[in-house]
Amino acid sequence: MTVPGNIMRLSVWRRRAQVYGYSLQARVSLSITALLVVVMALTVGVADYGLRLYASSVAERDLVAGSKVFQRNLSAQQNELRSAGEMVARDFGFRAAFASADHDTLVSALTSLAARAHAGTAIVVSLDGAITASPGTPVIDGRRLLTGLTNGADGGVIRVGKTLSLGAAARLEMPDLAGWLVVARPLDRRALSEFARLSAIPINARVAQASDLGPDLADVVPGQVNHRYGDGASVPSGAELVQITTLPSLQSGLQPVLALRYPLSSAARAFQSLRLALASIGLIALAMGVLMASRIARNILLPLNRLAAATTSMARGEMTRVEIHGRDELATLARSYNAMVDSIEERERRITHAWLHDGLTNLPNRRFFQEKLDRAVSQQGRDSRIIVIVLDLDDFKLINDTMGHDTGDALLRHFAALLPELAPNAQVARFGNDEFALLADYLAVHEDIATRVEGFARKMVADVQIAGKTIPLSVSFGVAVCPDDAHDSATLIKHAELALSRAKRDGKRTYRFFEATLDEAAIRRRLLEIDLREALRNGEFELHFQALFSPSECRIKGFEALLRWHHPQRGLINPAEFIPIAEHSGLIIAISEWVIRKACSQAALWPDDICVAVNISPRHFEVPGLIPCVISALAHTGLSPNRLELEITESVFINEFAQTTDILRQLRGLGVRIALDDFGTGYSSLSYLRSFPFDKVKIDQSFVRDLASDASARAIVRAITALAGALGMETLAEGVEDVEQYDALIAEGCLMIQGYLISRPVPALQAIAVLARWNDHDTVQARLAG
Amino acid sequence: MPSAPPLIIVKRTFFAAACLALTSAGAPHHLAFQVVDQRGLPLQGAVVEIARPAGDDRPVNFAPRYGMAQRDIMFRPGTLLVPAGATVAFPNLDTVRHSIYSFSKAGRFQIELYGRDQTRTHQFAVPGSIALGCHIHDKMKGYIRVSTTPYAAISDLNGMADVSSLPAGSYAVTVWHPLGRGPDSEWHGALIVAENRPNRIAIATR
Repeated sequence: MTVPGNIMRLSVWRRRAQVYGYSLQARVSLSITALLVVVMALTVGVADYGLRLYASSVAERDLVAGSKVFQRNLSAQQNELRSAGEMVARDFGFRAAFASADHDTLVSALTSLAARAHAGTAIVVSLDGAITASPGTPVIDGRRLLTGLTNGADGGVIRVGKTLSLGAAARLEMPDLAGWLVVARPLDRRALSEFARLSAIPINARVAQASDLGPDLADVVPGQVNHRYGDGASVPSGAELVQITTLPSLQSGLQPVLALRYPLSSAARAFQSLRLALASIGLIALAMGVLMASRIARNILLPLNRLAAATTSMARGEMTRVEIHGRDELATLARSYNAMVDSIEERERRITHAWLHDGLTNLPNRRFFQEKLDRAVSQQGRDSRIIVIVLDLDDFKLINDTMGHDTGDALLRHFAALLPELAPNAQVARFGNDEFALLADYLAVHEDIATRVEGFARKMVADVQIAGKTIPLSVSFGVAVCPDDAHDSATLIKHAELALSRAKRDGKRTYRFFEATLDEAAIRRRLLEIDLREALRNGEFELHFQALFSPSECRIKGFEALLRWHHPQRGLINPAEFIPIAEHSGLIIAISEWVIRKACSQAALWPDDICVAVNISPRHFEVPGLIPCVISALAHTGLSPNRLELEITESVFINEFAQTTDILRQLRGLGVRIALDDFGTGYSSLSYLRSFPFDKVKIDQSFVRDLASDASARAIVRAITALAGALGMETLAEGVEDVEQYDALIAEGCLMIQGYLISRPVPALQAIAVLARWNDHDTVQARLAG
Repeated sequence: MPSAPPLIIVKRTFFAAACLALTSAGAPHHLAFQVVDQRGLPLQGAVVEIARPAGDDRPVNFAPRYGMAQRDIMFRPGTLLVPAGATVAFPNLDTVRHSIYSFSKAGRFQIELYGRDQTRTHQFAVPGSIALGCHIHDKMKGYIRVSTTPYAAISDLNGMADVSSLPAGSYAVTVWHPLGRGPDSEWHGALIVAENRPNRIAIATR
């Protein structure tokens, strides 16, 4: 049953999306986030590393540049000192003072020079290393100076007292080299910080004897920029750059070096804000990336989750469509999904329709009707009722046969179209062939159903114009009410159908309510009863004849007429089945009359010594007409009355004993023979034998059957034959099938034999042949000897 | 100042002394010296002086006249050997003007600038070495060795210096060279000097 697909509300979607897609969405977001974190960390890390590298290289460059500045400064100072010294060394007076060893003049000149050149020290070194200096000058080792000076050195670091000084030497030439004028300026902390001020970067400079540098700089390779990582004490501010440059020495045994330290913290300070900015950009990008990742994940997965939820609900049978947002691929997917749902729904609808509808009239079929009825029954309230009506077109078969199937189909279609108009609020269905059904549900208890049904029945009378022919519409129907008649759909329908069949049986163009007493066997009986009426009219009855053989005379003395019914649909019907129905309905009277007439007319054709036996129902003795019928039959056929034998059973005596006996006497009066049938069963009252002088007693076939096995059966047969013989009645044994039975019956004194041993019941035409066969003595003897 | 070690090969000295004894004769004597520096390279312009033996009164005379010219902004000859008391002429053969000064202990003097084709003279009374300079041309250097012994000679390009009129023997020898490392740029040594072959003297120079 299709439920129209409806667009589910967004809130529902959200909830489902969380249930179905949370982990995937989280996974996607997490993956992208993790990727972003890695990428950002790498980017920031690489950038930071590059920045450090760059900062470091910049610092190195700065340090190298600073070192060059230092060295240029040193050499500039040295040049300055040298030119100051050279000016004095050239001075003729100074040279004269030196040459003449005028010590006082010389010393005063040196003092003046030291002051003028802002040098701490000015000395004259003679060729033998002797020093001439102004008083108060710290100790200077002249001999050590000689090594450099004699090798042509004109400047370098010298040790003045304890401090290292930058010295410049000017040659004293007269004109031969006579000595050197050395001017020196101390390279103390103050002077070096003056230098550092000239440098672009904050350099900590120190000039020292290489061996005095201390352990922390001992492993520094001179000339290169070295990175030193703090060990706490020596490098308090973290990493620093160190460059040690060997300075030229003017003094042997002196290895002066210029140690420049550049703390990287100060170098990195310029890049600190840059790194901070980089980290901020990284964090912001990461946050935005995470945000976007979750958004993308949601934007992709939300529609996917919708689709997933829709397919899930479709698997449950709900035709669910998804909302379509935008024009992207997901929207296309959603559109095609919806189209798929549409086509599935359409196909399902068609299949369902074909499954639940009738092709000819397009009305719902029995299956549909039953489902609908099921639902109606299950949802039925206590105060409501459901009416099921099953309808049938009267004589539809006749219409079909006489007017053709096209007309029949047209009539069905016409009726199918008419029904909903006649019962506007009812569910209409076609069960098949000409059977239709109506379902009117939830009628209030107080509603008068009978009135409604009656009203409906009245509307059902109309003439139908089909293909120019007028067909009177004649409809019968049965009504079943729930919960009065049944509580389930199948039983309801069955009951309605039973009611219908009863309506049909009771006459066409009518209706019947279901009655609880009506059961199926009754229905079948009623149906047979209906058919029985038809059967008589339609000549479906036939008489068969079974021979009655007289062993003493060795000839056939008569035939018993046996009724056969050839039902047009059900074939040959057992008399045991339809005779009680016929008796019950009273039809047996008409049938019996027919049998009497038919048997008489048949017997009239036979030889004069052949009689015919006809079974008479006990019912016949309850109504008048048996005697006139017999008289009429005899009169019509001209059959001699003594050739007609009426077989009755003991039961005719049960009710109106006197009346029955009277009738029997009258019949005897006509000359008709009377036989007591089925003797030994039923009441088997010997008093009947005494009360009426039967012409013949028929021993019931049950005794015959048991003759061989049961000694008592034989005794009974013997007793009956003895009794009958004593009363002057003929005895006949039924159901004789073999020679043993035959012999036993003969031996016990039975006069007549009937049964398959002699002949089966045969149609009237063959009776003559049977006669001819048994009138041939030789043949008969051979057969019975067999 | 460390004194330069006497670079005399002792073996050779003994051998030379033996030779001297064998070849001693009355012919004019001729002593040859070769002055080399510490690397064994010949020293030009070194003055080899052999102290006058006791009792020798031979006059000191190296040339009839002594002059130190100035040509091509150089003193020529670079080293001039003169006896004590000699007067040396300083002719200016250049087109530029020159001055002459000396801060040497043996003769401190100064001659003001003078022009082309002019001559100045100065007498050198004190024996020793005089270093000459020009105030306006620092490159110009000239040396005058004032000697008191007649047995002196200046080494040539090959460091060879010949002292005549002295037989082989043991002498106190002084070698002066402007670049000599000893006091007053002099080297002193007692040598057994051989005849007819160069006596090699190595001195330390600056």
